[in-house]
Amino acid sequence: MITVVKELWTFRQLMATLAWKNITVRYKQAYLGIGIAVLKPVLLMVIFTLVRSFVGIDSGRVPYPILTFAALMPWVFFQEATSESVNSVVANAALIRKIYFPREVFPLTAVVTKLVELGINFVILAGLMLWYRMPPSPLAVWVPAIFAYTILVSLTVSLVGAAMNVYYRDVGQLLPVGLNLLMYASPVIYPLSLVEKKLLMERAAGAWSEIAYRLYTINPLAGIIDAFQRVMLKGEPPDFAVLWPGVAATCVLLPVSYRIFKKAEAYFADVV
Amino acid sequence: MAMIEVEHLTKEFRLGQVTGFRDTLRNLGARLRGRKPEGRAVFKALDDVSFSIEPGEVVGIIGPNGAGKSTLLKLISGVSKPTSGRIVTRGTIAPLIELGAGMHPELTGRENIYLNGAILGLSKKEIRSKMEEIIDFSELEEFIDTPFKRYSSGMKVKLAFSLATTLKSDILIIDEVLAVGDLAFQRKCFDRMESLIRREGRTVLLVSHNIRQVERLCSRVLLIDQGRILEDGPSRDVCNKFYEMSDKKIMGSFLAGARSRAREVSSGDVELTDVSLVNARGEKIQEVMARDSFCVNIKFTVFRDIPRPIFGVGIHTTDFLYLATKQSAGVFDDRILTPGRYALNFTMKDLPLLPGTYLLRFGIALGDTFQPVYYREAVAGFRIVGGKRMSRATLMSGVDGFLDFDGQWHLVSQNGPTEEPVLLGMSPFRKSVS
Repeated sequence: MITVVKELWTFRQLMATLAWKNITVRYKQAYLGIGIAVLKPVLLMVIFTLVRSFVGIDSGRVPYPILTFAALMPWVFFQEATSESVNSVVANAALIRKIYFPREVFPLTAVVTKLVELGINFVILAGLMLWYRMPPSPLAVWVPAIFAYTILVSLTVSLVGAAMNVYYRDVGQLLPVGLNLLMYASPVIYPLSLVEKKLLMERAAGAWSEIAYRLYTINPLAGIIDAFQRVMLKGEPPDFAVLWPGVAATCVLLPVSYRIFKKAEAYFADVV
Repeated sequence: MAMIEVEHLTKEFRLGQVTGFRDTLRNLGARLRGRKPEGRAVFKALDDVSFSIEPGEVVGIIGPNGAGKSTLLKLISGVSKPTSGRIVTRGTIAPLIELGAGMHPELTGRENIYLNGAILGLSKKEIRSKMEEIIDFSELEEFIDTPFKRYSSGMKVKLAFSLATTLKSDILIIDEVLAVGDLAFQRKCFDRMESLIRREGRTVLLVSHNIRQVERLCSRVLLIDQGRILEDGPSRDVCNKFYEMSDKKIMGSFLAGARSRAREVSSGDVELTDVSLVNARGEKIQEVMARDSFCVNIKFTVFRDIPRPIFGVGIHTTDFLYLATKQSAGVFDDRILTPGRYALNFTMKDLPLLPGTYLLRFGIALGDTFQPVYYREAVAGFRIVGGKRMSRATLMSGVDGFLDFDGQWHLVSQNGPTEEPVLLGMSPFRKSVS
């Protein structure tokens, strides 16, 4: 674990440069520039808000648009970072065939690149908070930890995904579909409190309610989104009861994913 | 201590397509049941290769296409992993494998320098300090802030070359790069390479098909064929060995029936049946000692009268550079070739060719109008091998030209205003001073 971090530290300069390259290249010939990055969460927020006016989702005391935007920020970050890094190894085939450095640099860089876009979304969030007159809470110090955790979750999926994608390009194609489904299993459109209410209070699944709720929170995104909404909008500390199943799953799966990646890495140059 | 140590290196590739998911599952199933999965055919790109390279050595790697040269470089630079065997490298490696690997088309030249510097493990500060030098050498001051994709291919290579050679590294790996850019830049690259080698004492691995360059730059050369090291030694010896090998191959493919009909012009009145080379003792030969005489034996069939034929026999190189032609104008003025079979003999006397592989062309024309009736190139091939007076090591076709000629040397010292010139050797044009 320590050696891994150490090795990555030696390549921090490379990752920074590659991330800078990704961003420059992506927005080089785009008229709207990096502004395009905020389009996705903002548009989704508008759509969700419109849909909500038909179906009615209880958002508690926080206005729905800002609540869903705060959910979309970690979600879109996770989604884009994951799909980007799953494709990152194949996308850098030219480099992989010719120059050696640890291959996890590519998935990692892809994730780090997305942090820039996330940063821009924070500006939008700040604007929304100003609009709704919601003062920031000192609990926002949790934010870096929450996103560090999100990065680890993203890597858990994308390390193994990127390795498999080298051998089977289907992975890169199917992943967006899977991630879209996962969005509905995460508290993005609806708040987590709604799930809690249905399962824990109304016991909608009968005797299975407890288990269903645990299963729901194994998805790390449930905990991440809830925690982010709490510290940013509600001024509450993260709820560890919601977080721990996801954290446990990540702790188990990340090393496995990393190991698989490292094992496949030796043959990337021959196969890609 | 050796910079690069390679021990019993083997690299296998599986031939054919990457298997689909279903095959993988089936193989996995087979493996779970303890059976060996049915694999694809295995190709050994490198087969038990061992050598070691000392600091400051400049080693060339040559060999025919597909010999495993690039695979070897990839393994040494760590891009690909060996199937078995061991590689130990000491020091940083700057891989130049196919120049411009790290270049991104959308970035400008300057941005690409930063990017590649980072890829080669340099800090921003180091790159900045080298920036001027790199731009300067590449001769691209005007275009350095233009996107790389707008560069001409020559400009791309210039930038890549100056980048890779300016950045410091203990081991430099170069794959087929010197034969790029215009002549002036090639010269500059070559000089840069020489100075890297001579003055900075860097360890260099160079793969090239330009044997001449390899011979000049490298002190030691590895000759690889079919994944094995055939020769490992001083560059001159190994390069000569390689020349011989390629010549044999050219002849081999020629004799195997690869003679192309592409360069044949025929009216249909004549058909060539056989062309062979025969020595003084009447034996069929493919190799001729330099300056030896031999006979070209051409058999053909005529289907319609050809009055007053003119025959022509010419010599050309394997890449169709015409060297010499002899025509029989006036020799057969009284002959009419009536339908039937003929054999034509043409004796080559004291052929002044340097060692190498040569091909023959043959033609028949009508004496009155010079209208060609039959013409074909590469009808036969032969190799000139070193005679008593010349060895392959000193004279090579393609390097020293193709022709051998006689002459006499004399050297005159013209030092001192009053002294008579001192003549060394005999001049046929002047009386020697007594």
